[in-house]
Amino acid sequence: MTAKGRHIAPLAWQAATILALVAVWQWAALTYPAVYLPPIERIARGYIQLWHGELLHSALLPSLRRLGLGFAIAILAGCVTGVVLGSLRSLDPWVRPTIEYLRYIPAVAILPASLILFGATDQMRIFVIAFGSVFPVLIAATDGARRVDPILLDVARAVGLSTAERLVRVVLPASLPSIFSGMRVALSIALVMMVISELIAADDGLGFYILRNQRLFQTANVYAGVLTIGTVGLGLTLALLAVEKRVLSWHRGWRGLTETGRG
Amino acid sequence: MDESAAMNEPILAVDNITKAFPAGATPILNGLTFRQEPGQFVAVVGPSGCGKTTLLRCIASLMQPDTGSVLHRGRHFDNPPPWLSVVFQDYNRSLFPWLSVRRNVAFGLRGSGADDKRVDEALRAVNLEHAADLYPWQVSGGMQQRCALARSIVVSPNLLLLDEPFASVDAQTRIDLQDMVMEICQTMSLSALLVTHDIDEAVFMADKVVVLSTRPARVVEEIAIDLPRPRDQLATKETPEFLHLRHRVYTLVRKQAQKSSR
Repeated sequence: MTAKGRHIAPLAWQAATILALVAVWQWAALTYPAVYLPPIERIARGYIQLWHGELLHSALLPSLRRLGLGFAIAILAGCVTGVVLGSLRSLDPWVRPTIEYLRYIPAVAILPASLILFGATDQMRIFVIAFGSVFPVLIAATDGARRVDPILLDVARAVGLSTAERLVRVVLPASLPSIFSGMRVALSIALVMMVISELIAADDGLGFYILRNQRLFQTANVYAGVLTIGTVGLGLTLALLAVEKRVLSWHRGWRGLTETGRG
Repeated sequence: MDESAAMNEPILAVDNITKAFPAGATPILNGLTFRQEPGQFVAVVGPSGCGKTTLLRCIASLMQPDTGSVLHRGRHFDNPPPWLSVVFQDYNRSLFPWLSVRRNVAFGLRGSGADDKRVDEALRAVNLEHAADLYPWQVSGGMQQRCALARSIVVSPNLLLLDEPFASVDAQTRIDLQDMVMEICQTMSLSALLVTHDIDEAVFMADKVVVLSTRPARVVEEIAIDLPRPRDQLATKETPEFLHLRHRVYTLVRKQAQKSSR
C-alpha cells in the first residue's frame, strides 16, 4: 500500500463508521419514534443554530469566554508559580505541602463553596475553571523548571542577568515543553469545569443550554449541545497543538538529535 | 580608586583561596594563589579531578571561596563582573536550544536587539555568519563551540575564562579553535584564562602555565612560557624551547597524578 493509502484507509473507515451510525440512528428514529431518539435533521438544525445568531451569543460565546479567561488565568498562575517554585528550591518546604493538598481536591467539590463565595456570577465559573486547570500547568512548570540545565543558568549569570530575568529568559523557555504537556491536560479539565459550572444557577452558556433543553424535553437540542461541546474541545485541542508546534519547533529538532545521539 | 590605578592592578588576583563543596566537606581548593596581568594568556593545568572547574567558578564569581579572595582589578565581585566572559565546557549544554545561533550570540549582550552590528562582528570573528539563522543543534560541535565563543566576545570583555573549551571536539577542530582563540585574544588584546587538562595546549597557547596539585588543589608551580608570538601549530611545537617547557609541565603534572593514585 502506498504511503498516501495508509493515511486514507483509516480515515475512510472512520467516515464510513460515522455514516453507518448516523444511518442506523436515523432508521431507528423513524421506525420507533421516542423522545430520546430525535431524527438527525433536528439534531443538525439544533447544532447549526448554536453557531450563529441569538444562540451563539447566549450559549457558545459566554462559554468560550469563561473557558478562555479561566484557562488563561490557570496558565498564567501555573507558569509563574511553577517557574518560581522550581527555581527557588528553598521555597519548597514553605508552599509545596499546601499545593500538594489543594491539587487533590476535585474542582467539582469546590463548586458549592465558590457559589457561596462569588454568587451565581461569571467570576464563580471562571474561578472554578481556573482552579480545576491550574494544577496540571503548575506541576508541569515546576517540574520543567527543576530540570533546567544549571550550565544555562551559569551562562545567564555570567552575562549579568538578574534572578527575575533568568526566570523569564532561561527557566521559562526551557520549561515550555513540559508546560505545554501540562496545558493539554489542563485544557480538558477546563472544558469539564466549564460545562459543570454552567449547570448550576446559570442563565447562559452551553451547559445551561443543554440543561434547559433537557427540562423542556427538546432532546435534539440536548444532543446538539453535546456535539457542540465536543466540537469546541476538539477545536481548542487542535489550536493548542498548533501553537505548541510553532512555539516548540526547536524542541522537536533538538530532542530528536540528542536522543539519536544517545541511542 | 581612579582609572589609572585600576589599570595597574592585575586583571585577576587569586589570593590564598580555599573552597569546600559542599560546605564542611574535604576542601577542593586549599590556599591557592596566582596573579594574571592584563593582556596575559594564562593556562591552568592539573591532574584530572583536581578542582579546576571549581576554581574557574570561583574566579568567575559564580561561586565565592570560603576563605581568601578573588580580586578583579583590585575589586571584589559578588557576581561575574561585566568585563568578564566565560566559555563553558559543554558547548552543547551551554547554548540555548530555543535560540538561533545569532540570538545565542546576542544573549551575550543580554539580548538587546539594538546591537546587531556587534553581533555581526562577533559572528564574523568566528566565521559563523553563514550559520547565523540556524539553531545550535543543527550545526557541528566545532561550530557550536565557535558560537559559544562569539557569545563571550560580543561584549568586548577584558578577561575571557575558558573551561576546557576544546575538550569535546575532534583533533582537527581543536587545532582550528586554538588558533582562532589565540588570534581573537591578540586582536582584541584580551586577557584569557584557560583551564585545561591538555599540557600541549596549555604550553602552546599560554604566556604562563599554572600547575595545580592534586586535590585539595594549590599551585605547585608557575611556569613562564616565553615562546614568541604568533605561534604556529607546526613550527612552534617543533622548537626545542617548546619541547623543553612541555617536558617540564608534563613532569610536574604527572608527579601530581601519581601522588593522587597512590
